[in-house]
Amino acid sequence: MKISLNWIKDYINLDGITVDEIVDKLTMSGLEVEDVVNQNEIYKNFIVAEVKSVVKHPDADKLSVCEVFDGQKTLQVVCGASNVAANQKVVFAPVGTIIPNGNFEIKKTKIRGVESFGMICAEDELMLSDDHSGIMVLDENLMPGNLIIEALGLNDVIIEVAVTPNRPDALSHIGVARDLSAIFNRELKIPEIKLTEIEQPAKKVASVEIIDSINCPRYSARVILDVEIKESPSWLKNKIKSIGLRPINNIVDITNFILHEIGQPLHAFDLDRLADKKIIVRSLDSKIEFTTLDSKKRELPEGTLMICDAKREVAIAGIMGGENTEITESTKNILIESAYFNPSGIRKTSKLTQLQTDSSYRFERGTDPNITKYAAERAAQLIAELAGGRVLKETIDVYPEKIIRKELSLRFNRLNKILGFEIDDNKTIQILKNLGFELIEQTDVAVRVLVPTNRPDIEREIDLIEEVARINGYDNIPVVPKISVTLERKEDHQKFEDTVRNILVGLGFNEMINNPLISEKEASLSGNPIKLANPQSIEMSCLRTSLISGALNSVKRNFNFGNKDLMLFEIGNVFNAVNTTEIRDFEDFVENQNLVLVLTGKEQLKSWNAPEKNFDFYSLKSFVDAFLSKISLENFINDSYYSKENEIFIYSYQKLFENKVIGAGGKIKKQILNLFDIQADVFLFEFNLSEIKKINTPALKFVEPLRYPKIIRDFAFIFDKKISFGEVEKFIFTQSVNLLKKVDLFDVFESESIGSNNRSLAFRLEFYDEKRTLTEDEVEKEFNFLIEKITSNFNAKLRSS
Amino acid sequence: MQEQLNQIKAEFQNEISNADSSKSLEQIRIKYLSRNGIVTLLFDKLKEVPKENKRELGKSLNDLREFVTNLFESKKNEIETQSSGLTSEIDLTLPGNTIKLGSKHILNKTLEEIKDIFKSMGFSVFEGPELESDYYNFEALNFPADHPARDMQDTFFINKKFLLRTHTSPVQIRVMEKMKPPVRAIMPGRVYRNEAINARSYCTFQQVEGLYVDKDVTFAELKGTLVSFAKQYYGDNLKYRFRPSFFPFTEPSAEMDITCFLCKGSGCRVCKNSGWLEILGCGMVDPNVFNYVNYDSEEYTGYAFGMGIERIALLKYGINDIRIFFENDIRFLKQF
Ligand SMILES: [Zn+2]
Repeated sequence: MKISLNWIKDYINLDGITVDEIVDKLTMSGLEVEDVVNQNEIYKNFIVAEVKSVVKHPDADKLSVCEVFDGQKTLQVVCGASNVAANQKVVFAPVGTIIPNGNFEIKKTKIRGVESFGMICAEDELMLSDDHSGIMVLDENLMPGNLIIEALGLNDVIIEVAVTPNRPDALSHIGVARDLSAIFNRELKIPEIKLTEIEQPAKKVASVEIIDSINCPRYSARVILDVEIKESPSWLKNKIKSIGLRPINNIVDITNFILHEIGQPLHAFDLDRLADKKIIVRSLDSKIEFTTLDSKKRELPEGTLMICDAKREVAIAGIMGGENTEITESTKNILIESAYFNPSGIRKTSKLTQLQTDSSYRFERGTDPNITKYAAERAAQLIAELAGGRVLKETIDVYPEKIIRKELSLRFNRLNKILGFEIDDNKTIQILKNLGFELIEQTDVAVRVLVPTNRPDIEREIDLIEEVARINGYDNIPVVPKISVTLERKEDHQKFEDTVRNILVGLGFNEMINNPLISEKEASLSGNPIKLANPQSIEMSCLRTSLISGALNSVKRNFNFGNKDLMLFEIGNVFNAVNTTEIRDFEDFVENQNLVLVLTGKEQLKSWNAPEKNFDFYSLKSFVDAFLSKISLENFINDSYYSKENEIFIYSYQKLFENKVIGAGGKIKKQILNLFDIQADVFLFEFNLSEIKKINTPALKFVEPLRYPKIIRDFAFIFDKKISFGEVEKFIFTQSVNLLKKVDLFDVFESESIGSNNRSLAFRLEFYDEKRTLTEDEVEKEFNFLIEKITSNFNAKLRSS
Repeated sequence: MQEQLNQIKAEFQNEISNADSSKSLEQIRIKYLSRNGIVTLLFDKLKEVPKENKRELGKSLNDLREFVTNLFESKKNEIETQSSGLTSEIDLTLPGNTIKLGSKHILNKTLEEIKDIFKSMGFSVFEGPELESDYYNFEALNFPADHPARDMQDTFFINKKFLLRTHTSPVQIRVMEKMKPPVRAIMPGRVYRNEAINARSYCTFQQVEGLYVDKDVTFAELKGTLVSFAKQYYGDNLKYRFRPSFFPFTEPSAEMDITCFLCKGSGCRVCKNSGWLEILGCGMVDPNVFNYVNYDSEEYTGYAFGMGIERIALLKYGINDIRIFFENDIRFLKQF
């Protein structure tokens, strides 16, 4: 919201206070100033100049070469505007001037070979409007050489204030002035109404009826006859322009002026176009089509609060008037609406119709129900002054149930308890009074006040405490660098996640963060996607059901960047609907924290002392095992379940805990990679960390290192290729007595020489006992027994060493 | 004579330790060990020494020559190896193999640093769901239905009742429902906003929420805690200010600004010429929020705060496009 300091000075004396101080104090008391345009600063070099002569530029059709008199000397200036002419008074920017729009400096220059010593300005270059149709032509009586700051009265300071949604009272010049009056303890001056009325009472001419008084608790109206619609006087136009609005005509300008002066939105109807000169406020029984004054046809739903005349709808209440009754150049008699509408009703309609106006913005935040009459009178007074017209006697004011001021108490010790320091009681009272609170009772311990009705946000004692605290200044609250640390048990629910992250970083993985919002197509690859009701795009219409698509998208992006060798991981939440498509309760979905590992490209680059090696399925297994080992779960999650092709993988395996899958991964299949436009092998494993976190592992215990020697034996067999290592390994353990502790596979060999359907697997066996030294004999016996069993069970052939 | 030998030895030691090239080494060889070198010439003097001292002096001279020669040779070896990298066994200059170095995402690293500071002050760490109900995300946080305050946070809805949480504040409610005061916790997590994706905004980001409720928690302590945090994180010389603001679930509410560290407060593009950077929102827990979780707001007071991780990392590392956090280009990831 733009506030003009010149304008605001109509309501408060700010003499002796600098602009910087005003800006700083406003920000530091809750009205954040986002931008300051000090016209005295930005216009300081611009002067009034007189165009003496204009000739065509010799080398450019659209340019002119002008002789310009700056009050002392005549300068040559090249100008591109078509409306430049001799004897005009213009705004001139001499060499060295900074042009506000674009922030560039005017330099002595040559334009198509002709020297130019400055610039003749258009309104948009001065940021006075968007107009770039031609240069600004000034009043011919202005003196060349005068500063435009003085000549045009451009000595204002415009500040842009960000008003939080709890402060509708501050959405006007008087509203901001009221805060300033509290901040600087200076008097707030509300303009007095000086209204000349004619004898004829308004209610004899027009009438108002409220049918829906829930949504419209008050409707005030003024009737003014025989007005002349014309241009506003310059003081009004300047005020309207200063806050970035465009002057239209005297009546529209007056309603805009009052909106920005008091914060009360007004609407002017052409009285003669209101059927039976009647206003009826009611909600729609059924939906209708309605043409608003911007000539747009809008569909309005049932329940929309409307202003109607005796026959039809004439305005969407609080939002926008209708074309059928708007003020035109030929309007003679007008009815000014000044009403109070229920904030939530206006907000609903504004949302449904997607129509937000300066009026709806204020009504939905809450205007002052007790200002409507004043605003209507203020409008009538200005209309009488600026548009002629005769003001009919009295305001038509329908206000079935008066909204009265709330009573609230503030305990001084409570203020102290919340803030942690003491504010002088008298200071507290002074602040509340300056903000418009009426003091009704004061004791040593508390003060009782009436809350002005322009402060719908003030409902409780804590709200009063905030008012006092912010005006007194948060900076005045001491910084108490202490925190009482009670020694109860501290919990850290992210400790496991942090550990997992540290382990994976230690294993050499780079951590990614992907957007959890993905396309329905991606989300449907695995799981039961949950859709957003209001997605930004189809690419981001679902919550991820797994971390796979994010990982593959990141792989793809890295390929595009030329990064081919990747070890990536991500920890993130995934979302799946459970047995339903409609989420009605927390039972209808599961949100799990997952972990994904992705490998692609080379595990080892070719180097002078090592061969090149690509990531493969076994690399993935190595990292999965290393990870499980580092979180001390390798003995709990050791069941693997291997499977052939499924939706995602060509081949894969799952890790199980008590028959529950807690992770799965493998080699991603082609069809999936094609979706992500990836041409490379990708190995991926996804864990459900939420499930892993739940596993109750016994506390780690010390295991004494082995004190007795191990006996190592190797053997190799030729097997049929259809027999897997896993089968043989499992078999060995089922056959052996307790002496065998470990089986390692140290060679896999295939060759025509052993038969093309065969392969050789070589094993290294470790025998030992924790309590004694084994004898060669007992190991030999066991070893031979295993050879015999393997040979007979798998029809395998022992290879001689 | 012995004294002279000691002096020569000391001088030689000094010179050889300063030698740094084969050239300076050669000069030393000529000076001490050549046919006319100091050490060689000493042996000539041996003839002039009386017989009874000859034996003893001869031994000293031999020791000196051995010492000088050994030191010279080892220095010569050192200088040669240094310049070529070759020893008799291996070529030391052959490169080692590249070890794959893992990296934490900079956002999580930033979050970890912040968590560490608050954990050291005695805060616990809690979590809550990202897919939240309207009740926890808005209602229990004192956002009335149909109030313009809801417009402050553009929301992704699943339906009327469920949504993607727009802030981590709902975890405050969940923690207070579970525990009785004193409660002191931070609640980090991912939040979502229905905002256009561009260099300055993204549809999701991470927040850290903080909450402390006890019998005598005051605004002054809130300032103390956050100033202490900011000084630990941003440096001791930091200037700060607390500005009134509005959040439905705190009252009084504030935003904390620190001096823009790009322009040191003189005003620049990043701080929109104000000289200040907003780093967090905070305030005293609103009594209505206590009502929702059945805490007695007369007995207990509390403060809450929240900050965005992305914003902190953008500013701290001078990153000008937020989207780079979610691209996962390993050349970016590996920098941290
Ligand atoms: Zn700056």
